[in-house]
Amino acid sequence: MDLVLTTFLKMAFILAVILGLVPVLIWAERKGSAFIQDRTGPNRAGIAGIRLAGLIHPIADVLKLLFKEDVRPAGVHRVMYALAPFLVFFVSLLTYAVIPFGDYLEVGGRRIPLVVADLDVGILYVLAIASLGTYGIVMGGWASNNKYTFLGAVRSTSQMISYEISMGLALMGLLLVSESLRLTDVVAGQGQLLWGFLPRWGVVVQPLGAILFMTAAFAETNRNPFDLPEGESELVSGYHLEYSSMKFALFFMAEYTNLVVASALIATLYFGGWNIPWLSRAVIEARAGVLLPALLAAHVAVCALAAALYLRRASRERGKFGDARDREPGLMAGVCVVAGLAGLAALALRPWEIGPAGASLLATVLQVGAFVGKVVFFCWFFIWVRWTLPRFRYDQLMHLGWKVMLPLALANLVVTAVVAAFV
Amino acid sequence: METFLFYLFGTLMLGAAAMTVASRSAVAAAVWLVFSFVCAAGVFALLAAPFLAILQILIYAGAIMVLFLFVIMMLQGPVLPAEVAGRSFGRKALLALPAAAIAVILISWAARGREAAFGAAPVTGTAAAVAELLLNRYLLAFELISIVLLVAIVGAMALGRKQEEQP
Repeated sequence: MDLVLTTFLKMAFILAVILGLVPVLIWAERKGSAFIQDRTGPNRAGIAGIRLAGLIHPIADVLKLLFKEDVRPAGVHRVMYALAPFLVFFVSLLTYAVIPFGDYLEVGGRRIPLVVADLDVGILYVLAIASLGTYGIVMGGWASNNKYTFLGAVRSTSQMISYEISMGLALMGLLLVSESLRLTDVVAGQGQLLWGFLPRWGVVVQPLGAILFMTAAFAETNRNPFDLPEGESELVSGYHLEYSSMKFALFFMAEYTNLVVASALIATLYFGGWNIPWLSRAVIEARAGVLLPALLAAHVAVCALAAALYLRRASRERGKFGDARDREPGLMAGVCVVAGLAGLAALALRPWEIGPAGASLLATVLQVGAFVGKVVFFCWFFIWVRWTLPRFRYDQLMHLGWKVMLPLALANLVVTAVVAAFV
Repeated sequence: METFLFYLFGTLMLGAAAMTVASRSAVAAAVWLVFSFVCAAGVFALLAAPFLAILQILIYAGAIMVLFLFVIMMLQGPVLPAEVAGRSFGRKALLALPAAAIAVILISWAARGREAAFGAAPVTGTAAAVAELLLNRYLLAFELISIVLLVAIVGAMALGRKQEEQP
């Protein structure tokens, strides 16, 4: 019973983090693209004058999508047309079952591993689910009975099949290094140090494999520069052209959940997962009495700085808009002051006298935080690349997949195997 | 719990397989076959063979059937007017599932008392166990099969190529 309860809690945590990240990522995409293209980006939607630099926009978007009419064009395959968005979204969340987001959580002397399903064949499971991701797109594109959506689906399938091979071969190199198919073992192995000073991350021992995997991950998530399946200038918008309302929203959300999952995979396999370099669990637990007060002090300092900046803006822009928006800097300064006072209150509770249970909890929180931080960084990396690089032409895409990445992945595998056999 | 899941997956697998044969639309048949494969993977996982279950999804459901579906859709083109209502997923499926359930119950009834004949040996189908067998005990057969498959691929490509026009 305990197992069922903890599993459900872990699933709820993962779902909350991913679904919470989706609107933030949509905001980051729009604001990031605006920043890269020297525009302002979304800044209009607000609740009682609070706009949070456009963060309210996703809420407005969701409301709009929820209340839109769900149009079903004539001539579509009714069942598959309805099934496709759910399939895409469902498959995009499945991969997360095997990704460890922390080491373990100690509750009442029992250690709960922070992974939903610690499968013996974790890496193969990742590949299997990635290969299932094609179905929703193909079914949606074909069932819409539209030439543009169908072309998008055809492109997506051929692209995913081509890049899956390089992805699998790149992963096999990592497999030889970590000597386990289990993702928790892969992450734990990356916690060691190489030659005493370099973290033994996947990207350090398998640099070529890491680049190949990341490129293939871009192709698998249909992100620019591999976003031919939805090339607006050629296919209007690709496989989800005929969808509206929440069915479209599911496709849209699936793109971002896929992004989060791909980032989590890159972080787990090649960038140490929940490991903090040079700061192992033992070190954190031993120095918890120093680390926690230092972290709290840093939190208070950041809050004070943010409050000061908001207060300066409030005094400079007094009465600038003449409506509710004028209240925003003052309110934000208040929020920062409250957060800073909370940090001060925690400092008053003598955090330097933390017990072993608290130290263990601190280590877990820091490791989960490190993992989430890495995932968010790679999400931003995906957005960064999308607005920096132009789209491939179709023949260039196939050339890169089959004639460049496949031989490189094979060479990487052979070299790794030889080194692993003789060293 | 495991017995219940076994019967659930078995019923769904047989029902989906029956729908593969019964559906008029080629695309619907392919989708039902994929569903059947996924259920078969579920049965494998319940029989303590996680490696086989993952391979079933990775190779059959993920690679081979994607190509099948792709080719069927390419050759057929748009959605046929007869397919619009999606009949292959509606009434027929409602008939096929109880039929499959009855078949599963009948088969398990006919095989009662003979459980020892099936899977009495505690085999574990983990990746390590399978690799141990394939790369030690049956290494020669494994390599020979790889060569046969390679020859078959090269042969298929040679046969499938268009004849070059003789100048």
